[in-house]
Amino acid sequence: MDFSQILANGLVRGAELSLLAIGLTMVYDILGFANFAHTDFAVLGAFLAYSFNQVLGLNLLFSVTLAVPVVGLIGIGVDKAIFRPLRRKEAKLVISMICSLGIAIALRNIVRLIWTSHTKRYAIPVLKPIEIFGARLTVIQIGIVLTGFLFMILFHLLLHRTKFGKVLRAISDNKVLASACAIDSEKMIQWMWFIACAYGVIGGAMIAMEHLLYPRLGFDVIIPVFCAAILGGIGNPYGAMLGALTLALAENIILCLDFSYLINLGGLFNVGPIQISTGYKPAISFVILVVILLFKPTGILGRK
Amino acid sequence: MLTIRNLQKNFGGLRALDRVSLEVEGDSIVGLIGPNGSGKTTLFNVVSGFYEKDGGEIYFKGERIDGLAPDEIAKKGLCRTFQVCKAPEKLTVLENMMLAAKSQAGENPLSALFRRRRVSMLEKANLDRAMDLLEVLQLVDSRNEYAGNLSGGQKKLLSLGRVFMLDPDLILLDEPTAGVNLTLTMDLLKVIRELQKKESKTFFIIEHSMKVISDICDKVFVLNFGEKMAEGTPEEIQQDEQVLKAYLRGA
Amino acid sequence: MPLIYFLIYLLTMIGIYSLLAMSLNFQVGFTGLINFGQVAFFCIGAYASSLLVIKAGAPLILGFLGGMALSGLFGYIISIPTKSLKADYWAIATLAGGEVVRLIALNEGWLTEGPFGVMSISQPLRWLFSKDTYPLFYLLLVVACMAVVYFVLSLLTNSPFGRNLKAIRDEEDLCLSLGKNTRKLKLQAMVVAGMVAGLGGALFAHYITYISPENFRPIETFLMWAMIIVGGRGNHLGAILGAVVIQLFNVSTRFIGGYVPLGADSMAALRMIIIGTLIVLFLLYTPEGLVKEKKKVYH
Repeated sequence: MDFSQILANGLVRGAELSLLAIGLTMVYDILGFANFAHTDFAVLGAFLAYSFNQVLGLNLLFSVTLAVPVVGLIGIGVDKAIFRPLRRKEAKLVISMICSLGIAIALRNIVRLIWTSHTKRYAIPVLKPIEIFGARLTVIQIGIVLTGFLFMILFHLLLHRTKFGKVLRAISDNKVLASACAIDSEKMIQWMWFIACAYGVIGGAMIAMEHLLYPRLGFDVIIPVFCAAILGGIGNPYGAMLGALTLALAENIILCLDFSYLINLGGLFNVGPIQISTGYKPAISFVILVVILLFKPTGILGRK
Repeated sequence: MLTIRNLQKNFGGLRALDRVSLEVEGDSIVGLIGPNGSGKTTLFNVVSGFYEKDGGEIYFKGERIDGLAPDEIAKKGLCRTFQVCKAPEKLTVLENMMLAAKSQAGENPLSALFRRRRVSMLEKANLDRAMDLLEVLQLVDSRNEYAGNLSGGQKKLLSLGRVFMLDPDLILLDEPTAGVNLTLTMDLLKVIRELQKKESKTFFIIEHSMKVISDICDKVFVLNFGEKMAEGTPEEIQQDEQVLKAYLRGA
Repeated sequence: MPLIYFLIYLLTMIGIYSLLAMSLNFQVGFTGLINFGQVAFFCIGAYASSLLVIKAGAPLILGFLGGMALSGLFGYIISIPTKSLKADYWAIATLAGGEVVRLIALNEGWLTEGPFGVMSISQPLRWLFSKDTYPLFYLLLVVACMAVVYFVLSLLTNSPFGRNLKAIRDEEDLCLSLGKNTRKLKLQAMVVAGMVAGLGGALFAHYITYISPENFRPIETFLMWAMIIVGGRGNHLGAILGAVVIQLFNVSTRFIGGYVPLGADSMAALRMIIIGTLIVLFLLYTPEGLVKEKKKVYH
């Protein structure tokens, strides 16, 4: 596989992962714990969009747009019902993290109950790939990359050009000071959940558009998303974007590498091609995760 | 006992400790004062290994200790308390004290399983010692209470008790009398003075109350904005113009 | 299957899972190590033991010990990166680690028979009993293991070692300031926990006589977590009780299937929804679990 194809595939996957990673890292930054249910909210949204699309016959993009506020509100509801009482009790953050695991299990299986375990596909026609700069991508994939970048830019604008973003940055920099400044942090937190879920749904829908949709998708994707967020620097949304792109590229590169070069040592041996099987794709995230945690736990960009 | 040379600690652009040099002599009680944010606790954190330094050297009993892990430093005989008392909630007061005892036999799984007789002998010895200390600290009645249920002042006393159990050579106390009532404070100071005299221990104490400082300290260092501003006996410090201007508004 | 055989099966499975729950409890409830990849120990113990016996021809007792040893080794390996790791990071790393172990079992067919699994696993002392009485023997074997593990773990948690672990759980910085090498202690805790869970895995493999990567999906970790949260962290009895409650729930709902108009997949989904909800509800309202931690009182 040539490099431009690897790059193209990496961009597509990177775009999908980055929107999910942004939401995850934002929650970690503001609330202080890793939300293990994040990707399952995203998958719920993808399934809702599927139903709006298939059952109600609405246009796919419109379906996704409709799914966003629904899941956003559900996210706010979950925070109010579960995480806020824990905050009030000043429970250890670890408890919230374990709770999020419980929520993840429940959410995933609610999706399974409602939509069954059968794999679904969005009603997208199978398209012929187009050639761009030596790589072959379908229009959908190009759309995913563009949408991904669009929303990353939107997030940047949100962070720096809106009042919400300003407050978010203030809370992120110094929680104690922020709460002393009469910032209504609870309201902020609700908005933050909404946006995190919104980005998650869009990311989840993009993944579903490109691959398949099934209830376990949330779990299948959570390890790469976490890895992306930590790789880029947990708590830093730009890190999430960078981490996602880096991880996606790394995954694609590593899967293409032929390790027999190392063993053959320029003619000493003659071993057939050795490649890592695609079944090990999640393992790549794991190895990168461990390496980062061992050597530079603050990630590429570190904390803001 | 403790020599600090040109210690530097930065937090991003902020110079929390700016080329601080000082010496704490053995067998004495030394005070560390300064306005809030002057770097006192940061100094303790760097010396005890919880923060990494950005420059300078730290010598303890002639050996260099900067760069070592906090537990290695503690094993060498340098122990510290925390400004906000850390008390494991689900351990009782007695368990807290026993936790601190030095070189216990049963601290790894193998000896805990196979050398039970020796372990229980040592535990008994440590238990007796802990009870003696608890009497001095007036905590005997709460000995089987969860540490998390103690009052703020009692937690401070427990911190002190743990440190005494560990029997270190240099003890760093971070605001030991904050939140403790007057009578208890007087008792505490008495205990510190006694221990220092009887067992030649060295204390390095962060304090806000000049009364406490003048009462027990032989020497005082003053920090301001991360720099050492002055040093001397409590009387000298109280008359130093710079210190008065920056910090003391009539002790 | 006559009721008595089913009961023996149920009790045996509860026993095996209680070992896994006690292992997880030792990590979470006593040392504060948030391990989301507990299934990896289960998997390694099961595969190591069965493969040692079937492929390497080792005697059963060595298989069991080998399973325990390899699990313990894995516990050692995954605690190496805990040096400056916060709970969140280690949690995701262990979650990923659990999956990687399963993927290795799935992909490395030359070692593990891949998706086909390991079949005809021999059973200890099978020749001594008839087909009807063997299950009872195995149940007694499992109960004996439970008793030994309970005794050993209790000894450990009541010792200075256990005191150190509880202190690390609540206030790690304090332990460091008192000269405790917290990293080494966590390593030791993980090796112990690994060995216990490995024993559970070996017992499982030689009971069911057929294992495949499908037995070791993340859902197993989640079930074990539900067990310790419901049963009570920081208490060995709580772990056992949790195993009883969750396993009973898990197995009994398979029989409602005939009376409730839901397909098998939907029943499974409903089961897991309840498990997830139980975790959340208990953490919100009864974080101590059903059996609270015992206070150590000196006289």
